[in-house]
Amino acid sequence: MNRAEGAAREISRLDMLARRDQRVNRIHPLVKFLLTVGYIAAVVSFPKYDVFGLLGMMVYPIATFLLGELSVRDAFRRLRVVLPLVCVAGLFNPLLDQNRVRLGDVWISAGVLSMLTLMGKGVFSLLASYLLIATTTAEALCGALSMLRLPEAVITQFLLTFRYITVLLEEVGRMTQAYALRAPRQKGVHRKVWGPFAGQLLLRSMDRANEVYESMLLRGFSGKRFYQRQRTPLCGRDLAYGAFWLALFALFRFFPVLLLVGGIFL
Amino acid sequence: MREAEIAVEGVSFGYEKGRKILKELSFQASGTENIGLIGENGVGKSTLLKLLVGLYPEFTGTIRIGGMPVEKKNLAKIRSQIGYVFQDSDSQLFCASVDEDVAFAPRNYGLPEAEVERRVERALAMTGTLHLRDRKNYSLSGGEKKLVAIAGILSMSPDILLMDEPSAALDPKNRRRLIGILHELPQLKIIASHDMDLILDTCSRTLLMADGRIVRDGATEEILRDGELLEAHGLELPLRLQGQIEIMSGKMRTDIL
Repeated sequence: MNRAEGAAREISRLDMLARRDQRVNRIHPLVKFLLTVGYIAAVVSFPKYDVFGLLGMMVYPIATFLLGELSVRDAFRRLRVVLPLVCVAGLFNPLLDQNRVRLGDVWISAGVLSMLTLMGKGVFSLLASYLLIATTTAEALCGALSMLRLPEAVITQFLLTFRYITVLLEEVGRMTQAYALRAPRQKGVHRKVWGPFAGQLLLRSMDRANEVYESMLLRGFSGKRFYQRQRTPLCGRDLAYGAFWLALFALFRFFPVLLLVGGIFL
Repeated sequence: MREAEIAVEGVSFGYEKGRKILKELSFQASGTENIGLIGENGVGKSTLLKLLVGLYPEFTGTIRIGGMPVEKKNLAKIRSQIGYVFQDSDSQLFCASVDEDVAFAPRNYGLPEAEVERRVERALAMTGTLHLRDRKNYSLSGGEKKLVAIAGILSMSPDILLMDEPSAALDPKNRRRLIGILHELPQLKIIASHDMDLILDTCSRTLLMADGRIVRDGATEEILRDGELLEAHGLELPLRLQGQIEIMSGKMRTDIL
């Protein structure tokens, strides 16, 4: 199995993960979606030197990993391509920001603090998105989006894009395999072939994506009815779960909870 | 089950302007017969099947399914009566698990969950794939995918079945199972295939396509035994008949004796 086929299987595995019957999976998708948006908004709004305040936000991913019985190792393995990119964003801060800030009795480089904050924001936001995908199916998310009255075209676009990624990756897998078998001494696809390779890939995956869509149509798929079916009523437990976490996000965002707790013991 | 009926009259269609794939094509089918659709590659077999379910609306002529013209306003009703098994099963299996995929159509038609459950179980049992129910689609073999794809269509309880190369990717055992399934299913079926032995085994009537038209419509035995006719249209005798005909005509093949 080559890397593209592996990635396609990884998406299928993620889909199966979202279909498990864990406590977090059972929470209403709309609540999880809004919580994720709220969490990311809270995380990115932290001041650039407030690294300790930001640490408090770790509680949400930790709790979700535990409640959902998800593997932290798998999460970082799946995010390994994006995580370095997110971390690189803050690498130059120590050079650009030469100020010093005081933390208790210690003076620390402001650039280092802002770098850590930026990295933390990126990692936490990515983890929150991952946790949403790992505990909510694409169809359920579509149902949640339709409850928010988003246009049907936008939701269908989201659903088909999700399906299209797998189709595209499978096609990449087939083509690279066929290429490698006829170019055994080459590593990867030679740059001379990138143009036609990409063109063929686009045409072939469009054909397949079209067939997948036709197959959906022929089995009664109509966006509106499909999304309506995905809608499930919100119950008190879901609302309580959402309200609890939103209150906690607000608490961590506006009060130095960790410093206060630390102050009790010091 | 309702009386199934397909009426195609003077249908012409082309993907590009000025290059017709189907030219004034006509035929009728009704009841519960199995009809084989044969012809060279690129002759328009798959295109014809797709026209019947309204996937390409820009044709000229008329197509009626159960008396209803294939037009935009009737498509939902027509598609609920016709099951289409794609040549490439991967195009059909887009859900994560077998269970979900087979339940896709009944759920889309708004059936109650208990009925969906019953249909899924029955469809999987009919194709002998009940044991695959909880499997993930990506972990299925080519043959299993094909049988599950057929189950996904049977769960709609259609009156008409259109099958594009149903025996492709099947090993001999699964092919025999498919033939058994095709005999048992009560629907009107159109089976497009290059597998002449499959057509001979399952279809009482055969349509031979060439140059965008039906050039022969008749009993399967009669058409598939006509070596000259088949050869003239780029086809070959079914393997099972090849030996018989050679022996009957005195051309003993010493290389296999």
